[in-house]
Amino acid sequence: MPKRKLDPLPSAAFQILLALADEDLHGYGIMRQVAEQTESRMRLGPGTLYSSIQTLLEAGLIVELDRREDAKLGQERRRYYRLSSAGRKLARSEAERLADLLRVARAKKILRGEYV
Amino acid sequence: MSERIYACLLRLFPSYFREVYGDEALQLFRDRAHDEKGFFPRARLWLDLLADLAISVPRQYRYVRPALTGAAVQQRLECAPVFFVLLDESPGPGALIFGCALSMIALSLFSILLNHAGNHRPLSASTYQAGYSRPSASGQAPGDAEDVIMNASRVRPGEAKPDDSQSKALLPTDGPRLPEALPPQLRHAAERKRLLNAVIDNLKKHYVDPEIARKTADALLAHEKNGDDDKVTDRRAFADLLTKQLREVSHDMHLEVAYSREPWPVLRPEPTAEDLARYRKALEQDNCTFKKVEILPHNIGYLKLNAFPDPSVCRETATAAMASLNHADAIIFDLRDNRGGYSSMVSLISAYLFDHPEYMYDPRESPTQQSWTLSPVPGNRLADKPVYVLTSGSTISAAEQFCYDLKMLRRVTLVGETTRGSAHAGGFHRIDDHFGMGIPEAKAINPFSKADWEGTGVEPDVKVKAAEALETAEKLAKSRLQRK
Repeated sequence: MPKRKLDPLPSAAFQILLALADEDLHGYGIMRQVAEQTESRMRLGPGTLYSSIQTLLEAGLIVELDRREDAKLGQERRRYYRLSSAGRKLARSEAERLADLLRVARAKKILRGEYV
Repeated sequence: MSERIYACLLRLFPSYFREVYGDEALQLFRDRAHDEKGFFPRARLWLDLLADLAISVPRQYRYVRPALTGAAVQQRLECAPVFFVLLDESPGPGALIFGCALSMIALSLFSILLNHAGNHRPLSASTYQAGYSRPSASGQAPGDAEDVIMNASRVRPGEAKPDDSQSKALLPTDGPRLPEALPPQLRHAAERKRLLNAVIDNLKKHYVDPEIARKTADALLAHEKNGDDDKVTDRRAFADLLTKQLREVSHDMHLEVAYSREPWPVLRPEPTAEDLARYRKALEQDNCTFKKVEILPHNIGYLKLNAFPDPSVCRETATAAMASLNHADAIIFDLRDNRGGYSSMVSLISAYLFDHPEYMYDPRESPTQQSWTLSPVPGNRLADKPVYVLTSGSTISAAEQFCYDLKMLRRVTLVGETTRGSAHAGGFHRIDDHFGMGIPEAKAINPFSKADWEGTGVEPDVKVKAAEALETAEKLAKSRLQRK
């Protein structure tokens, strides 16, 4: 499978990395977490979600865990994903890059200071 | 229901993606459908899904393409056939069989349409006839006199079909009369009976051997009585069946019943004065097809004759040509482009080659006074001179008669190629607008052997390519004259 470019990191991939920062999640869990952390502005469809997951797995930014049930969602066994240390590192550097951008935006008076 | 629809939509993704994430995607759909109930959430769900498909399906395929193109480039370097595929799995046996079947059906449909659409004839027929096509008499170029001669002479049974371009030139039509084409089905038994009777009448009236005609007619009636003809409703098939029955008994391959979807042209029994005048004029313009009369080195007379035209028009030209060669020590007749004509002209020219009357056998005509040469010709000195006749694969009809008879009489040396092989002309007898009969009218008994040149041509004594025949004949004549 060809490597997919993660530079620059697509926003969907970044959101997934962020969603997995606190806990291991299955696909639907990631989707809900992303929707929550973006206030429902980003609702990942299955195609986008799993192709991003595929890319992140190939890049070693997340890892796949054994299938298990999610007690809240019935008896189906689901694949869970966990953020790898490389993934965490990349998420941090991406957040820093954005923070730098924000600083610039603030300095240019494009964004008011109170938000960040 | 909606899950099934989404399962179908998932098939849009590349197979490798479906294999790995298909189930997960479907599960995600189920989870969302479970949580998002009600009209608006459900509408939003579908909107999300469709938008997601629109974005992620092309992306998935785009990611695959570079790998495949890379592989293709590698193959191209090895000069191997290259296929670009969107999927990285090979098609299953079902798909391959379906593909084969579809190709076969498409191919068959194409050929069926090609052969049966409208009034088209099969391709094979056009190719066959293309081989026989030649310029029509309206061309009015030198050489057309030969066509006129052919028009005025006979029609071979196999060629007397109006949908054949050649016979259109051969058969004069009766103005612009065009009765409508018939449907190919025989309407009822009465029509079959009428056709059968007409065929039998024609056979008895025109066939050369009355005994065979009677036997053949009896066989046709017996077939009819047995009900052999009843099954056939197609007109063309009926014509073919009658032809088969005719040939079974007569063993004569020139007997045939012909059907034409288009109406037959009406034959005029006698050429009109206008036809004759046109014929005469064309011949005169063409020097009666006496293309070259000259004396070659070593006093060899050379005559290039492209037809055997009607003596009633061309007697003087022929006499003058022969007279101008009278003092030659040998004669070369060049018949390589000779298209035939009148057997009376064959006799007229042959007369110069004998010092006593000889019978010029023509399988198509009963012996008449003109079948014997009027030898000796007064003042003629050619009767004992060596004679060479140049032939080619297109030397035909009366020219073949000239070659055959003089070869059998051991009077000439044939140099060149085997001739075309057309001996039996026959009459075409119209039954109605759509049916006709070809009946060979061989009238004379062959005095030389059982077989004439029909179908086989006349074999040359010295076999060389037509283009080299003149040179060869000149050499032969020269060495023969030097031996003397």
